[in-house]
Amino acid sequence: MKQTRRTFLTGASALSAATLTGIGSSLSAFQASAAETSGYKAIVCLFFLGGLDGHDTVLPYDQASYDRYAEIRAPLLGLYDNMQGGSTRARDRLLPLSPSNAANFGGRQFALPEELSGIKGLFDDGNAAIVGNVGPLIQPITKTQFENDSAPQPKRLFSHNDQQSTWMSSEPEGAQFGWGGRFADAVLAAGANSGAQDFSTITSLGNELFLTGSEASPYQIGLDGAPEIDALNFFAGGENQSDPNSIYQKLRDHFEAMDFNSSNLIDRDIANAMRTALTTNETFNQAFESIQPFSTAFPQNFLGQQLQAVANTIAIRDALLVNRQVFFVAIGGFDTHSNQANDLPALQQEIDGGVVAFYQAMQEIGLGSDVTLFTASDFGRTLAINGDGTDHGWGSHHFVIGEAVQGGQIFGDIPPYDLGHDQDAGSGRLIPTTSVEQFAEPLGRWFGLTDAEIAAALPNLSNFASGPAFV
Amino acid sequence: MHSIKFRRVAQSAALALVLGVAACGGGGGSDSGGSLPGGTGTSPPPPPPPPPPPPAPSSTAFSTEESTALFLTQATFGPTQEDITQLTGTAPSDWILAEFGKAPSLNLNYVLTEITEDGARDDDGQLSFEKRQTPTFSFWINAIEGDDQLRQRMAFALSQILVISHAEGNFLFEVPNTVAHYQDILVSNAFGNYRDLLEDVTYSPAMGEYLTYLQNVKGDPDIGRMPDENYAREVMQLFSIGLVDLNMDGSSITQNGAPLESYSNADVTGLARVFTGLSLSGGEFFFDFRTLPDDALHTPMQAYPEWHSELEKTFLGTTIPPGTGPEESIDIALDTLVDHPNTPPFLARQLIQRFVTSNPEPDYIERVATAFADGQYQLPNGSNVGDGRRGDLSATIAAVLFDPDARDAANRDEDSFGKIREPVLRFIQWARAFDAGTVTPEHTFPLWNTSFGGGLSQAPYKSPSVFNFYRPGYVAPGTETGAAGLTIPELQLVNANSISNYANFMTYFTFAFAANGSGEPSTTSFIPDYSDELALAEDPEALVDHLDLLLTFGSTSDETKATIVTFLNDIALENPSDPDYNGPFLRVGLGVLMMMTSPDYVVQR
Repeated sequence: MKQTRRTFLTGASALSAATLTGIGSSLSAFQASAAETSGYKAIVCLFFLGGLDGHDTVLPYDQASYDRYAEIRAPLLGLYDNMQGGSTRARDRLLPLSPSNAANFGGRQFALPEELSGIKGLFDDGNAAIVGNVGPLIQPITKTQFENDSAPQPKRLFSHNDQQSTWMSSEPEGAQFGWGGRFADAVLAAGANSGAQDFSTITSLGNELFLTGSEASPYQIGLDGAPEIDALNFFAGGENQSDPNSIYQKLRDHFEAMDFNSSNLIDRDIANAMRTALTTNETFNQAFESIQPFSTAFPQNFLGQQLQAVANTIAIRDALLVNRQVFFVAIGGFDTHSNQANDLPALQQEIDGGVVAFYQAMQEIGLGSDVTLFTASDFGRTLAINGDGTDHGWGSHHFVIGEAVQGGQIFGDIPPYDLGHDQDAGSGRLIPTTSVEQFAEPLGRWFGLTDAEIAAALPNLSNFASGPAFV
Repeated sequence: MHSIKFRRVAQSAALALVLGVAACGGGGGSDSGGSLPGGTGTSPPPPPPPPPPPPAPSSTAFSTEESTALFLTQATFGPTQEDITQLTGTAPSDWILAEFGKAPSLNLNYVLTEITEDGARDDDGQLSFEKRQTPTFSFWINAIEGDDQLRQRMAFALSQILVISHAEGNFLFEVPNTVAHYQDILVSNAFGNYRDLLEDVTYSPAMGEYLTYLQNVKGDPDIGRMPDENYAREVMQLFSIGLVDLNMDGSSITQNGAPLESYSNADVTGLARVFTGLSLSGGEFFFDFRTLPDDALHTPMQAYPEWHSELEKTFLGTTIPPGTGPEESIDIALDTLVDHPNTPPFLARQLIQRFVTSNPEPDYIERVATAFADGQYQLPNGSNVGDGRRGDLSATIAAVLFDPDARDAANRDEDSFGKIREPVLRFIQWARAFDAGTVTPEHTFPLWNTSFGGGLSQAPYKSPSVFNFYRPGYVAPGTETGAAGLTIPELQLVNANSISNYANFMTYFTFAFAANGSGEPSTTSFIPDYSDELALAEDPEALVDHLDLLLTFGSTSDETKATIVTFLNDIALENPSDPDYNGPFLRVGLGVLMMMTSPDYVVQR
C-alpha cells in the first residue's frame, strides 16, 4: 500500500515501495539516554485468553494422583490417546518436576506436558517458578462460605470478559485501571522514564485495561515499528517543511486535529487521540532505527511475533528514554469447551517456543534478571469433562519466568486432582488459594513500588496474609 | 411508560405543525373517516362519528438534503448523492416500509458457486485461501451494492450481537458455506422476530461450532461428565438477558446498592442440559464427514434425542420436566429468554448504539424496548409496523430510527451524543458515495487482509471473540468521555496504531492506488468515480460543501471546512514542468481523505 511521492502526485500508479522519511523537528529535544542496564526493569504479562486449563498444564505425577486424574478425565485422555503420535498426557511421557520445595507437597508430585519442555528446562535451571491455584478473590474464602454466599467473592465469576477484567483490575468489565497501569503510574511519579508516560506501558494488541493507569496509557507496537501516515510523508522533505504555512505543516495540522474545536466529548476524545498519535509514532520510529537484530530466533507464530516486538522495544529502551516498562501480550484459543486434546497441545507449544525465545533474547541483551514474565488467564477450568473439553473454572496454575525469579519451586497450593475437596467449587472448579493481588504483589515490589503504592494498585491486598515471594 | 410514548407523539406532532409537513403515504388513514358520495336517498342513519384520527405525527427526516443524508447515514451503509436528491421531500415512512418489503440480498448461493468452481480446491480437497474468504467478499458486495440497505445494515448490527467469527484460525474459516448460511439467517430475519432469529441461530451449524455445542453430549453422572456450558452461558450473557437485571430503560436493578445479577452458575448448568443432542443434519450424531449429505454444513442442525439430557432442566425460574425432548426443551428455553424482562432493554440499547448513539438516554432505550416488547411501532405517517408479537425487529428498528433522540437537532447537539463510526462503515460509505465501480473484493487484497496491525481494525464476521470488537459497556480510560462515565464502544478500537492504519487504508482507496491502466482485475477493483467531484476541483469551497453533505450530512464544522479549503487552494491545478501532474485529482483525493480523517467525520452525531 505504500506509494512514492511521485505516484501520489499523479494520482494513480502501480504499487511500489515508498521511502518513509524520518521526521526530525519534534524530536530534537531527545538525546540518547545514559541509563544503566541495572536501572531498567520490565514486567511482561502473557495472558491466555479464554481460560487456560491449569489441570491440563500442571499435571499430577505421583501414581495415586495421576490415576485418580485419569479416572475423572478418562473421556479426554481417551481423545489424547487417539492423537497422532499418541497421548502426550500418558504418565510415562510427562516431564516430572523436582521442585526444591517438594517437601511442602508431601508425596504429591507434579509434571508438565512435553509441549512445555522449554519452560520445564527453565524451571529446572531455577529461572521459572509455578504459582499454584491463583485466581481473583476479595478475601480468603472457604468452600462453605462460597456455597452459602456468606463472604465477599468476586463479581461475575466464570464469565470471560468479567474475569479477564478482574484479573487485570480487581473489578469486572467496566473497570478503568489495571494494576500494570497503576504500577507504571507509581514509577512515573517517582521520575522513571524521564517523566514521560508515552512508552511506559506497551502492548502488541489494543487498548488494554491491564496497562491503563491514571497517567499510563498503553502504546501499541508491531514488528516493523509504528505506522506513520503515508499521505503526510508524501509531502515531507520539502525545503520549507518546517514553515508553518508549508503544505506539509498544514496537512500535519489536519492529521493532528490542531484546528479542531468541539464541546462534544466524543469529538474531543477523537481529536485528543489524533493529537498524540502522530508524534508518538514518529518518536518510536526514530528510536526504532537504532534496533540491532537479535540472534535469538523467535517462532513465526502470533505469540512469537508479539514477544519479538516486545524484545525489540526493550532493546531500544535507551533511545526511548525509559527504564521501567510494563508489557502485555496475549493469545486466544484457550476456551477449550471442545476439542481440547487437539487444540491445547499446539497452544502450549506456541507458549513454550515464544517464552523460551523471549527469555533467551533478554539474556542476549544482558537483561535476563531485569525482565520478569508472568502468565495470566480468565480462569482455570473444570476438572470434570464435558465430552471432549472442559468448562469455565476459577483458580489456575501460573508461571513466572526470569532470572530474578526464585525458580525451581512451586509456590502456593496445588489442590488435589479430585472432586469434592475443600477447594472444589463444583466439578473441579478451584476456589483460589492465592489471590491475583497476592500474585501481583511481589512483582510490584520487585518493580520498585512502595507498600503504599502497592496498596493503591491492589485494593484488596490487605485482606490477605503475605503471598508467594517468588521474585 | 405511557407518558413517554405520549410525549413522543406530541413532540412529533408539534414538529409537523411547525414545518407544515403532512403525513403522507403508507395508507395512513385514507380509508377512515369521510363518507363516500352515495347518491341514494335511502341511506341508513349515519353511523356515530368515528373517533378523531390520532394526531398525524410526522418526521423531518427527509425535509432537507442534510436531514436526508443524516437519516441514510444512520440507517444504511451510507447515502449517495442520488439517494439524497431523490428522497428529500418524500415521506420517510414510505422509505422504511419499502425497505421492509425489499427482497434480501443473500450470501449462500454466491459462496456455494465460488467454492464449487473448478480449481477452488487443491489436490487434497483443501479450499484455497481466497475461496475461504468468500463470505467476506459476499458481505462487501451486498453491503455496498445491495438495494436492501436497511436490511443489510441491520444484519451487520445483529452480527455484532449474535457473534460468530470466521477470522483465520477459527474452524469456521474452513467452511465458508457454514458462515454464509449464518449470514443469511441474520439477513433473512433482520425484520422478523427475535425469538425466531434466536431459534435459527441456535440450530445453525455456525453457532453450534463457534460456541461448541454441536455434538454436545448429555451429562453422565457416573463418570462426572457434564454438558458443555458454553452456549448456555453466552446465550444469556450476550444474546438475550445480560448479566444484571434491567429496568425497561436499561438501568440496572440494584439491591443494597449493587446490581442484581440475572443468573447464577446453577442457571448455566441447568440451561446447558437444554443444548445437548444437536449435531449436523442427515447423518449420525457422531458423523463421518464423508457420508454426510452435501448440504449438512449449511442446513440447520438436527436434534438427536438419544444424546439429549433426560434430566430436569432448571434455569431462570423455569423448570423443564425430566424426559422432555430436545426441540421442546429448546423452545421452552428460548421462550424463557425472549420473555425475560431484561431482553427488550438489553437489545434496544445495543441496537441504538449500532445505528445512532453510544450513550442513549434511558427514555430512548425505554421507547425502543417498548417497541420490541409490544412488537409494534407507529411510523410518522400513522401506520403501524410489527405484528404485535414480542420481539418484532421491524418495529424495533423503526423505533430506533424515528425516535426524536435520533432525529431532533436539539438532542443531537448534546455533548454526550453520537457514536464513532465503525471502521467498516466508513469504508463502505466511501465505496457507495463515490460509486467505487467494480466491486470485486476478491481482487482487492487490503479488504481481506485482516492480519494483525493493519487495515481497519474491524472485519465483518471476524471478531476476535464472541465479545465482538468492542463491548457495549466500554468506558474508555483516560478520556473525557470516560471521566464523564460515558460508554463509547468504538473507542476500544482507537489508538495511535489504528489512527494511522485507518488513514493509510483510506489513502489507498481514495487515491486509487490500485489503478495503473494495465487492465488487470486488481487495477479496476474499487476505483472511485470522482466525476462529480472533479467538476468542482477548481472551486475547493464548493467541493468541500459537496463532500460535507455526502459524507457528514452537512455537519462538518466551519473551522474544519475552512482548513481543508485553504489547504486545497494551495494544491496547484497544473504543474507546467510535469505533464503527469494531475492537480484536480490530487485536490479531490486529498479533500476526500481529509474529510474522512477529520473528527467531524469520525464521530457521527
